[in-house]
Amino acid sequence: MSDKKPSSQTPVLEIEHLTMQFGGVIAVNDFSMHIDQGEIVALIGPNGAGKTTAFNCVTGVYEPTNGQVLFHGKAIARNHPTGKMKKLYAGLHADKYLADPVRLTPDRITQMGIARTFQNIRLFSGMTVFDNVMLAMHLRRKSNVFSQTLRLNAAEEKQMREKAEKLLKTVDLWEVRDEMATSLPYGRQRLLEISRALATEPTLLLLDEPAAGMNPQETEELSRFIKRIKGQFGLTVFVIEHHMQLVMGISDRIYCIDFGKLIAEGTPVQIQNNPAVIEAYLGGGEDE
Amino acid sequence: MTNPKIKKKDRALTVSWIVVAAVYAAVFAAEQVISPNSMLFTVLKKGATYALVAVSMNLLNGFTGIFSLGQAGFMLLGAYTYAIFTIPLEHRSSVYQYFNGGVVQFTLPWFLAMILAGLVAAFFAWLIGLPVLRLKSDYLAIATLGFAEIIRAILQWNQLGPVTNGSNMLRLFPNFNSFNILKADGSVAVYLSTTVPFLIAGVCIGLIVLLLHSGYGRAFKSIRDDEVAAEAMGVNLAHHKQLAFCISSFFAGVGGAMLAMYQTTVQAKSFTTAMTYEILLMVVIGGVGSVTGSVISSFLFVACSEWWLRFLDNEQFIGDFQVPLLRNGFRLVVFSIIIMVVVLFFRRGIMGTRELPDVIRALPGAVRSLPEKMRARRERRSASRKEAGR
Amino acid sequence: MWNTVFPYLLSGISVGGQYALIAIGYTMVYGILRLINFAHGDVFMVAGIIMVYMSASGMPLWVTIPLVLILTALIGFVIERVAYKPLRSAPRMSVMISAIGVSYTLQNLVLYVTGGLNKTYPTIPLISQTVTVLGAKTKAVTLVTPVLTLVLVLLLVTLINKTKIGMAMRAVSKDFETSQLMGIKINSVISATFVIGSFLAGVGSVLYFTNYPTVIQTSGAMPGLKAFVAAVFGGIGSIPGAVIGAFIIGIMENIIKGLDVILFKSGVISAPLGLSTFSDAFTFALLIVILIVKPTGLFGEKATDKV
Repeated sequence: MSDKKPSSQTPVLEIEHLTMQFGGVIAVNDFSMHIDQGEIVALIGPNGAGKTTAFNCVTGVYEPTNGQVLFHGKAIARNHPTGKMKKLYAGLHADKYLADPVRLTPDRITQMGIARTFQNIRLFSGMTVFDNVMLAMHLRRKSNVFSQTLRLNAAEEKQMREKAEKLLKTVDLWEVRDEMATSLPYGRQRLLEISRALATEPTLLLLDEPAAGMNPQETEELSRFIKRIKGQFGLTVFVIEHHMQLVMGISDRIYCIDFGKLIAEGTPVQIQNNPAVIEAYLGGGEDE
Repeated sequence: MTNPKIKKKDRALTVSWIVVAAVYAAVFAAEQVISPNSMLFTVLKKGATYALVAVSMNLLNGFTGIFSLGQAGFMLLGAYTYAIFTIPLEHRSSVYQYFNGGVVQFTLPWFLAMILAGLVAAFFAWLIGLPVLRLKSDYLAIATLGFAEIIRAILQWNQLGPVTNGSNMLRLFPNFNSFNILKADGSVAVYLSTTVPFLIAGVCIGLIVLLLHSGYGRAFKSIRDDEVAAEAMGVNLAHHKQLAFCISSFFAGVGGAMLAMYQTTVQAKSFTTAMTYEILLMVVIGGVGSVTGSVISSFLFVACSEWWLRFLDNEQFIGDFQVPLLRNGFRLVVFSIIIMVVVLFFRRGIMGTRELPDVIRALPGAVRSLPEKMRARRERRSASRKEAGR
Repeated sequence: MWNTVFPYLLSGISVGGQYALIAIGYTMVYGILRLINFAHGDVFMVAGIIMVYMSASGMPLWVTIPLVLILTALIGFVIERVAYKPLRSAPRMSVMISAIGVSYTLQNLVLYVTGGLNKTYPTIPLISQTVTVLGAKTKAVTLVTPVLTLVLVLLLVTLINKTKIGMAMRAVSKDFETSQLMGIKINSVISATFVIGSFLAGVGSVLYFTNYPTVIQTSGAMPGLKAFVAAVFGGIGSIPGAVIGAFIIGIMENIIKGLDVILFKSGVISAPLGLSTFSDAFTFALLIVILIVKPTGLFGEKATDKV
């Protein structure tokens, strides 16, 4: 499969027949989906359904066993079963993606414009709030280690600091910028993680359970926040979430997977009434 | 809109600079006034050398989180590079007596030789880093240790004798005393044999500090804190780890060159893993993640082992009674126990992750609250005395 | 040709067995605690020194040998309790640094006691006698070592697979936290691991120093390091792997020592190349190759991290 030419109709993200198999266990099974420019798309499903695994295949943390992922029409991941996996492979379409495998490291993918947050917050515990955000801009630098050490890049550094200031003020974290990142309350740590991701200047933002552990009021604020930054930064957003309040509140479309397989897709209303989805969640959505 | 917090930081920074300048002035003055044979200068010279090496190790282990135990190997490479390229031509045949004067028949000025020492060490670090840096921390430690041993073996190999002098020592190269400015009759006009090493170490450590406070320094710290997150935020792990490894080894190489100048002779077999262990312990005692801590603890370490605890090595008599335990080697035992105490009970070391400006900043507050604290203690004591009296 | 190579082969098997006895200690401790016990090689050296001083005090061998073994096991136990147990919840690097600190302390203690002088290991009758094997002269210990090693390893493997404490050890090395939750007395398991490992190192020291009778404070560093490499080579956590790795290293190291002589006598080279310098370096080169090609070692298993 060759790369497609980008156009305004090209989806920002396309996942095609993604299968991820660990040893004998299939975590993601022939999963396909797409996200168009400016959409907010949610991926839901019970715990262990394979959602974070799918995220990890998109961001380059895992190498998929089979299938491909396209970003603005360009392949950022592609693989087919080889070697030992050839015998073990229990999925479909083993011979569909036989072109040269594509394996990019996560930092490369971030550079291309995909940023993410983590299910279990991964802030830099030894650094301040400010430095956490500054770090995320390192990949856009033009200077090298010598010019940075000798402070020849003063203009660039100043620019980055101003951008960081703006970002932190957007999430109301400017006042605490010199505190250690992990000393913040949980909810604000989540916001920090999101603004850190935004500092990498992405076009596609992946959020892994951003509302985890939040009460309904916080979840409502988060919904508004996500919609605001989407407009402000021109983002496309891909969310994994359990909080149905958030999912129904912000999503344009929803995909539901269980045991690694897609079981439903559609608008929030369609999903809410889908019997397969209700079944997968064992008699009703999550209480939150 | 000047934030008072920023203003205080600048003041603390300025005070730090003043403190550092004062130290340099004191060292220079001491050199002119105190006899050059005093133990003080041994400690200062060796301390400055180890301070640089300790900071370079802290850069790698403490700030980037790469647990490498190969320091001695890179110091060795630096020491040998320096020695090989600065032995004066007239001495080469006597030093390389078994190898027909050796293959290197030119001499570099010490400054260039030192930089070359760093570059050679950095080059080998780059080579070694290619396979080794993707290993998990424990394995990385042992692999780097292994490489240091391999380097040590290779540099003793007789077949390389024309370059390295095989298992024989290298000597007669310029040492710290060559920095002294001499009068026409050969006596010393201005003593610089301690000040210049201090300057060299100071400049190098200064560069490392600049690096640590730059964007690259943030990248290194992010790798230490959470590799996965760092990579997700666009930090190329392989590239940055190599960078940290090579820069750290560059300065370890320069430190090795300084060690050669301090010792006046170099021999590969003395650069053992025990040397790396000592540097690691210096870093830990000073505080992993504090440059100031590494500098302070290096001087303390050298002072204790070379000077202050020396009395423990001498047999002492009180009248006719010989004090038990005190004899040669006891100071190292006491020393080891002190280290174990620090490792077990004071894991954060002397400075934790604080630097000199942080300490200076905290000083006024601590001093100002001193009368308060004393009053509070007095009140507590009289209260408990009243309790006991009842 | 055989006559040239065989003596080196014999030394290799002998020292390989001695390395194996040390390597088991490393691999067991790493399997359970994920800790490289940097001090283990020095415990081995201390066992040698204790023997030297005990024999010098006049006690008969049938008293000193068991006493040395018991004391070595005790030292291992004490080190764990004092230097590793308090740091069990600390980051991994802290414990490794503590191990390095213990190693440093042990070496300095021995340096102090011996005054830096080389000590000579007492000659143990029976195993120090010269015997002739297939035309090569060697000490009896060369034959005793592999046999004794295999017997002890078999006993150990039986213990691990057939006894309750062995099962506890296997559980703890598979999953530390869950084992605790299942009611396994972690402290006892860990102590037992250190006691067994140190005991075996003590046995190894009796055999090793009979072959290489000079004992100083640095005598444990190299054998310790090589034994660790053997453990990694065989697959860290695997006892049979450590043993096989140790024998391979012992044999290769001795063959390299003799490589010059072998090549010279078989006419391949015209003058010795001084390759014995590299016999130590070989072990590390092997380590690096293994870490790059197959980091889990010959018999190790892979583990994936969850992101």
